[in-house]
Amino acid sequence: MPTVVIASPKGGAGKSTAAIILGTELAHAGAAVTLLDCDPNRSLSLWASRGPLPSRITVLSDVGEGEIVRTIKRHDMDGQIVIVDLEGVASRLVSRAISQADLVITPMRATTLDATVGVRALQLIREEEEALDRRIPHAVVFTMTRAVRSRQHSGIETSLRDQSVDLIEPPLMERTAFSALFEFGGDLRSMPAQGNMAAAIGNAEDFARAVYARLTAEDA
Amino acid sequence: MADKPFSVDLGRLKSREKDRSAAAVERVDRTGEELGFVDRDPVKRRGRKPSPRTGQVHAKVLPHVAEEIAAEARRRGVQQGVVLEEAWALYKSLESTAD
Repeated sequence: MPTVVIASPKGGAGKSTAAIILGTELAHAGAAVTLLDCDPNRSLSLWASRGPLPSRITVLSDVGEGEIVRTIKRHDMDGQIVIVDLEGVASRLVSRAISQADLVITPMRATTLDATVGVRALQLIREEEEALDRRIPHAVVFTMTRAVRSRQHSGIETSLRDQSVDLIEPPLMERTAFSALFEFGGDLRSMPAQGNMAAAIGNAEDFARAVYARLTAEDA
Repeated sequence: MADKPFSVDLGRLKSREKDRSAAAVERVDRTGEELGFVDRDPVKRRGRKPSPRTGQVHAKVLPHVAEEIAAEARRRGVQQGVVLEEAWALYKSLESTAD
């Protein structure tokens, strides 16, 4: 089963939020999901400690660079999706995790700084593809976006499309419910209502569908 | 949101064959290092770890007992080991008496 690596050397880009949303939505849709918390800030572990874990989800904490390859190998089995949440730095752990990915997702806020730093992950993926002689599918998802798209957002999006970067639609919008996952744990369906829950669930589900489509694409 | 509920067909999810050999990991490390993706694991402390019981590296007794043994050794002008050996001899004799 596929390994999805959430990677960006930029901190605060929304990696852990994207990992939890993707993991909980895929689990809700019937997949067994193993989330690997490789971030020393232990954001996934914090989320896991806040409330009962949703069905079909397992969280493994404190996976370091020495264990990442064999931990992914151990969980990369039939009927299981592995999602790796990485720290927001340029580290060897990041490059090793990417080498084991079936899909790398780079969350990116629609700011010049996030785009500039986030692009380093895309460069690393390209170099690793060459070193390993295999294609590593990757995509960017914009995070914390607003209903009204800024000019900066449009400019960055155009620039990435011009470079043939795969952009996941829909982006993950800035939503109270998404940040509240770290307060209540569980998933969007189990937490007390936070803002427009139907819209949040719809956004999360469509994002997971878009990722699933990439994982099941013929050339994936 | 799409009308049809989202459900995952596990049979359609594929994992690709990945090279997990030491040579492949080394190639990946080298590639990453060239782009600044370097080892950032915290440096492990070398040497013997402090005892979880006493918090000391070499001592076998709690700190206040170590101080008392040291004070007694100083008073008598002998090595601390002598005090420990005498204590052990005393323990053995008590043990044989109990038998």
